[in-house]
Amino acid sequence: MTGKPIIEVKNLKAGYGERVVLQNLNFQVHEGEIVAVVGRSGSGKSTLLKHLIGLNPPLGGEVWIEGKNLVETTGLERQRLLLTFGVLYQSGALFGSMTVFENVRLPLDEFTELPEIAKDLVVLSKLKLVGLATAAQTVPAELSGGMQKRAALARAMALDPRILFLDEPSVGLDPITSAGLDELIVQLAHNFAITFVIITHEMESIYAIASRVIMVDDESRTIIAEGAPAELRDHSTDPRVRRFFHRHAEPEGGIRQAEVV
Amino acid sequence: MPEAEAEVREEAPGRATVKLRGWLSAQSTAKCWQELQTRLAKLSPRSLTIDASEVKITGGIGAALLRYLAEGGMTPGAQVVLQGLNKQAETILNTFTSEDYRQYRPHPPPKVPLIVEVGAVVRGWWQGLRHEIAFIGSVMRALPQAVARPRRMRWREVRCVIETAGANALPVVAVICVLTGVVTVLEASHPLAKFGAQIFLADVIGFSSLRDTGPMVTAILLAGRSGSAFAAELGTMKVNEELDALTTMGLDPVRFLVLQRIVAAIILTPLLTLFGMLMCMLGGMLVMRSLGFPPLMIFHHILNRVGMGDFAVGLSKAAIFGLVIGSVACLRGLQTGTGPSAVGASTTRSVIACILLIIVADTVFSAAQYFLT
Repeated sequence: MTGKPIIEVKNLKAGYGERVVLQNLNFQVHEGEIVAVVGRSGSGKSTLLKHLIGLNPPLGGEVWIEGKNLVETTGLERQRLLLTFGVLYQSGALFGSMTVFENVRLPLDEFTELPEIAKDLVVLSKLKLVGLATAAQTVPAELSGGMQKRAALARAMALDPRILFLDEPSVGLDPITSAGLDELIVQLAHNFAITFVIITHEMESIYAIASRVIMVDDESRTIIAEGAPAELRDHSTDPRVRRFFHRHAEPEGGIRQAEVV
Repeated sequence: MPEAEAEVREEAPGRATVKLRGWLSAQSTAKCWQELQTRLAKLSPRSLTIDASEVKITGGIGAALLRYLAEGGMTPGAQVVLQGLNKQAETILNTFTSEDYRQYRPHPPPKVPLIVEVGAVVRGWWQGLRHEIAFIGSVMRALPQAVARPRRMRWREVRCVIETAGANALPVVAVICVLTGVVTVLEASHPLAKFGAQIFLADVIGFSSLRDTGPMVTAILLAGRSGSAFAAELGTMKVNEELDALTTMGLDPVRFLVLQRIVAAIILTPLLTLFGMLMCMLGGMLVMRSLGFPPLMIFHHILNRVGMGDFAVGLSKAAIFGLVIGSVACLRGLQTGTGPSAVGASTTRSVIACILLIIVADTVFSAAQYFLT
């Protein structure tokens, strides 16, 4: 299922200003893979995502997407590169003043010269994929959290991206919707050859869909494990990885105090 | 894979073939679509064969073109054959059929009769009025409680509001009031000069600064600066369910959040107005000074003309304006609806309502004063 590398992260140092959140990050994501980025709350998963999608400039290192260095590209080339991937934000980030239909249609209106009928066909096909074709004319505020996430996924897919970045897609979803979303992700990866990078905590979802897991840690501030989910769960010798995959509390018990820098 | 290209061949009169090659990306699909639409409209074949053996589709955009072609969208009435699709393309194509399009396509919204629309607006007004009455009721209920038990009042928040809405507004109030004083006196100086009565500019300064310009300009500034902030704060809290959290904790949002802001507004508006009055007078006096009047003469004239009564009128107006700003802004904040534009909408409504009510109240004051004195 896996092909050539579509995302390459080389020696990436992620953070904000002076503050380094993660460093020495080196990994590749291959075409058609579903990679889950896991780690404890505050370990820097979302920070890593922001650097992968070019929202934050890295403190060092490179992010290559489809053979182009996202860090160095500018202008039209950067815009073209940004259109090759879609992002599903944790909150959905739908535009509240537009209907679901208009939300999904927006990228098509802005970035393609397709005729009206083509745009309608594309939007409805995306909405049908996520099970929201009947809710096309509603506004986001009228939808449940799960429906908003699915509508946002449809918008992220509007321009047929090769890569989809999903930030905690299952948070706040009921188990049935969550399982449905997992199925959809697998179907999209299989049928549409979309590569997925998913930030998640949902262990069940990871075992069900992820071909590979990358685990980041806030204490060592880098990747501490990489591999198939079952392999990490059953064979990892690192106590931090084992605790995470086996859902064990801290050895001293309770919840560790947060470190706020 | 290279971007897609479309080739149209006329095999025989009335019979055409479309050969698609390459990857149907968003950009190339749009190009192919326009090209095919033009070419096929010219040929208007009765039979069309689409050769899709060398085409790659990776999503709904390419599929939309194939679907539209296959359904005869570009060749109405023609017999269309789609051939050579690989398995992946076929799977993608089947995720959205023409039947799906017919079922889900957007329909224009149903026409609502005028009477229904008018009814909905009137109903909205009525509900708004009911909310306003209920709000006034709950403020009236909370105020005596706060007076009876002042310890329960969150004075720290009152102080905080006075600082952010009052002290921090000093520079802007100073600049605007000085300039308003300058403009008022400049405008009045010409007509008075015609009668050689420029000394009466001191009356203009005194009366306008204390009774009207000072209080009203300060109140309008506060409505725009602090009233909007009150509405936005409470609106954001409503959207974030913080008001629900307060209610479920057994805390009344009016007593916990609104009262502090209203009390702060009633205290700070007269204080800020006092400052605004002085700044207004300063602006006016600067103009008079530049016209050649000695400072002592200006002071003397002003002090002779205005009395404590004028101060009292101005400050009592300001207290009423404070009450209007605090209560209207908080009410609009609490009335915030859902959705991301709701906070912005309630802020706008708050500013408009505050300014309108301030001017109405000012007119009532002036009229009452005119008839009573």
